[in-house]
Amino acid sequence: MAKLRLERLKPLVALAAFLFLWWIIPATVKSFTRLTFAEFHAPAWLVTAKIDQLSEFWAARNHSKIDLLETGRDLARTNARYQVMAQRYQSLEEEITRLENLLTLPPQREYHHEIARVIRRDLNAWWQHLLIRKGRDYQIPVGAAVIFSGGVVGRVAEVYAYTSRVELITSPRFRMAASFEGDSRPVVYQGRIQSGFVSPRGEVSDVPQDLLTTSRNPLNLVSTHLGGTCPPGLKIGVVSWLAPGSTGIFQTGAVELDDRLHTLKEVTVLIPLITNDFNRDAN
Amino acid sequence: MEPLDHHKGENPRILFFLWITLLLAAILVAGLAWRQLIDRDAYEVIEKRQTERRILKPGPRGDIYDRRGRLLVGNRPHYSAVVYLDDLRPEFRSHYSKVLREERARLEEVFVNTPTEERPDALPHPNYKQLQWKARQAVVQKYLDQINAITGREDRLTESRLIRHFNENLLLPLPLVRDLTPDQYAQLIEQIPPPPRSPIQIHTDTARYYPYRELAAHLLGYVQNKNLKPEEYPNDGIKTFAFQKKVGRSGLEAYFNETLSGTTGRELWRVDPLGFQDTRLELNAPQQGQSLNISIDIDLQRAAETALGDRAGAAVALDVHTGEVLALVSHPTYNQNHLSPFIPQNTFDAINETGAWLNRALQLSYPPGSTFKLLTAIAGMRHGSIDPETTHNCGGVYRVGNRVFRCHASGGHGPVQLADAIEGSCNVFFYAEGLSMGIDVLSAEAQRFGFHEKTGIELPYATKRNIVPSKKWKREATGSGWVPGDTANTAIGQGFLLATPLRMACFTASLARNETRTQPSILAQPPQHKNSIDHGGEALGLSPRQRALLWQGMERVTGRRGTGRLVGIDDFRIAGKTGTADFRAHGKEVNLAWFVGFAPVENPQIAVAVMVEGTEESQQYHGGSTAGPIAKDLFLEFIKRYPERAGKAPSSRSSTAK
Repeated sequence: MAKLRLERLKPLVALAAFLFLWWIIPATVKSFTRLTFAEFHAPAWLVTAKIDQLSEFWAARNHSKIDLLETGRDLARTNARYQVMAQRYQSLEEEITRLENLLTLPPQREYHHEIARVIRRDLNAWWQHLLIRKGRDYQIPVGAAVIFSGGVVGRVAEVYAYTSRVELITSPRFRMAASFEGDSRPVVYQGRIQSGFVSPRGEVSDVPQDLLTTSRNPLNLVSTHLGGTCPPGLKIGVVSWLAPGSTGIFQTGAVELDDRLHTLKEVTVLIPLITNDFNRDAN
Repeated sequence: MEPLDHHKGENPRILFFLWITLLLAAILVAGLAWRQLIDRDAYEVIEKRQTERRILKPGPRGDIYDRRGRLLVGNRPHYSAVVYLDDLRPEFRSHYSKVLREERARLEEVFVNTPTEERPDALPHPNYKQLQWKARQAVVQKYLDQINAITGREDRLTESRLIRHFNENLLLPLPLVRDLTPDQYAQLIEQIPPPPRSPIQIHTDTARYYPYRELAAHLLGYVQNKNLKPEEYPNDGIKTFAFQKKVGRSGLEAYFNETLSGTTGRELWRVDPLGFQDTRLELNAPQQGQSLNISIDIDLQRAAETALGDRAGAAVALDVHTGEVLALVSHPTYNQNHLSPFIPQNTFDAINETGAWLNRALQLSYPPGSTFKLLTAIAGMRHGSIDPETTHNCGGVYRVGNRVFRCHASGGHGPVQLADAIEGSCNVFFYAEGLSMGIDVLSAEAQRFGFHEKTGIELPYATKRNIVPSKKWKREATGSGWVPGDTANTAIGQGFLLATPLRMACFTASLARNETRTQPSILAQPPQHKNSIDHGGEALGLSPRQRALLWQGMERVTGRRGTGRLVGIDDFRIAGKTGTADFRAHGKEVNLAWFVGFAPVENPQIAVAVMVEGTEESQQYHGGSTAGPIAKDLFLEFIKRYPERAGKAPSSRSSTAK
């Protein structure tokens, strides 16, 4: 009878022993364990991502030649359009450089682009992370802005040897300075707890009272250079509803974000060519 | 039989104790019931006092707009980085343990190293209180250093500030850095993680914002942060903390303080036994104060301020019909944005040194000089001593008893009649007429126009020193009797006579309307009220012929030969009067240059008074050449902004100066 009781207590004893051990081991060991957790898991996540890609590859092989021809034609058209845009971009850059020299303005902060594949999504109510397949091996720095064709994706939160963890703008822990298109006054964007069945949303606060928005004429929330992380003008989301805040003078509102944020396969990391010198913009 | 059965109902001692016990129990239950049911309210109040704290947050102030809806005073975001000390309590504790350990080790080391004969009997105790504050300061400074590293600032937190905040405002956030620039604000937003990952919060409040900077500074006024008055705290025994409120200290901000002040918001918190906040029980958001629409036109204001430039003085423009103030300038001035969100001592001292706090348009009174001759002329005409044919021969001097009074034209004007005397500002004509009618008539006439009173404008601190001298006044004020020379001086606006530039503008507007009083107002009048404004007073009391004579003289002032010829504008009829007065200010004899006038003569719409105050004896200021051009700029701006009222078709705006 006593033996049976002891048998039942075994898991509890094991748990207590583990907790005791965890309590007495040095803090450095704990810290090392936490830090290396992601590194140890990275190969597994990479393999999973590779397998996914392989399955996509085999799925693509099943397409008919007609499909491929049509896709090739569309791609050629897209390429032609982008070539024109690239030329236009080049001439605009030259014009900006000329104006900067003319007005002796400091050059705009420049970024090196690093395109990275998303290998894992860690999305829940409390945090929203992406794991991307580039890390210290590509000199990805912590705090770098991450973008995609629809605008801001988030910010690099942690960098590992071959991977990096990106905090998505949907995450309640994510906050950035922003501004409304055509208005330079800074406002605060922050992610919030996401409901699983609707489009991703965030919050905007400290919005000046004179800004008005309706569902017919929504305001575009974009990044600002003031914070030093993102280049200005990148789209964050759309604000179609603002309400008076608790200060009695500023408004708060909901930001509708891009639906593609939770299904991204590839993102671009913006690595500043010079280290963030936050005072430079202020001067 | 059970062991205790033999005691049942038999032993009287047991029964006695039973009854005693029952009685005590009954008393206990009754006491408990009394406290729980009867005294419940009293205990509820005590419980509330002990466990609830209230935070009052004043609402933002209302905006001020000019007559055309342009924002003159608003609220700008005022960013600061704050921490709630409550959030730092675990860190306070752990850091305190650390510094206590270090201090004990240090004391022990000192103890051990002290020679035995000098060593105290026992190891000394650390100063626990001091270490606690040291630990708290170190923790808060750590977060301040984080902010400094991001923003490049070098702010420090003093222990005394921390202690003061801890003792007085524990429930309110402790400001680490105030008045962050938008860049610094944005940097902190991005670099500091949101709570709970960091205790630093970026707090957004409001500060007064003046988009036109120093324009209309005296008129608009400024605010100062003040603690709420005791009567503004709810008197229910709950301990209340309050953010500072912005209170108007001068100008419209002060006069309309109640209107502009927002409604105070309230938060009620349940706190723990140490006083740190636990649960929010109630929230009433603060509400913004009401906005004001004032009568100023900022374009006219700018025109006058630009024309006045660096000189000391004042300029007032009134709507002739409504008395609305279109511009009210006082120089030297100051940039009101430098006084918001607080007034730095060096800024205060600099403004003090230049005397810029004073609103010269209504807080100081000056001798009006020759502009007062208009009133002397009206008094003379009403008294019957002046008619169109009245002529005096000006030889440049006029003798009153033993005193010689001079005209500004040393060679004299020759024979002059009223219109000539106004055009050339002949002193001799008015000396003679003043003496002819006497001070009683002159004084009564000035009082009829309200020269002895405040104007009643909605602005604070208007001077009470509006002097219309009379025999009685002189005896009371100086103890000496009235002499004819005093009358001569008064007749030309010198001597004891003192009036503010605003009063002179009101006088001019009244003249243009053929009345004696103008009630100036800084508030924009609704269109439906504009024709029904009662200025008080009475009709001027001049016949049409007399009035035409007066106006003719005034119009000739801005004509080719008049003293105010520099004011003249092509195809725009201006009636005016220049004045140059001697004035003792800053311990020196200085000149005051005046110009008053209204336009257009055929349908008066705007009345103007300009005064420029000399600050050095060497400055030769004259009404026509110094104050006149400022008035001209005001008239030109009026034509540009209100061509229809100025009698100009929109297509013929291009007026040029003579």
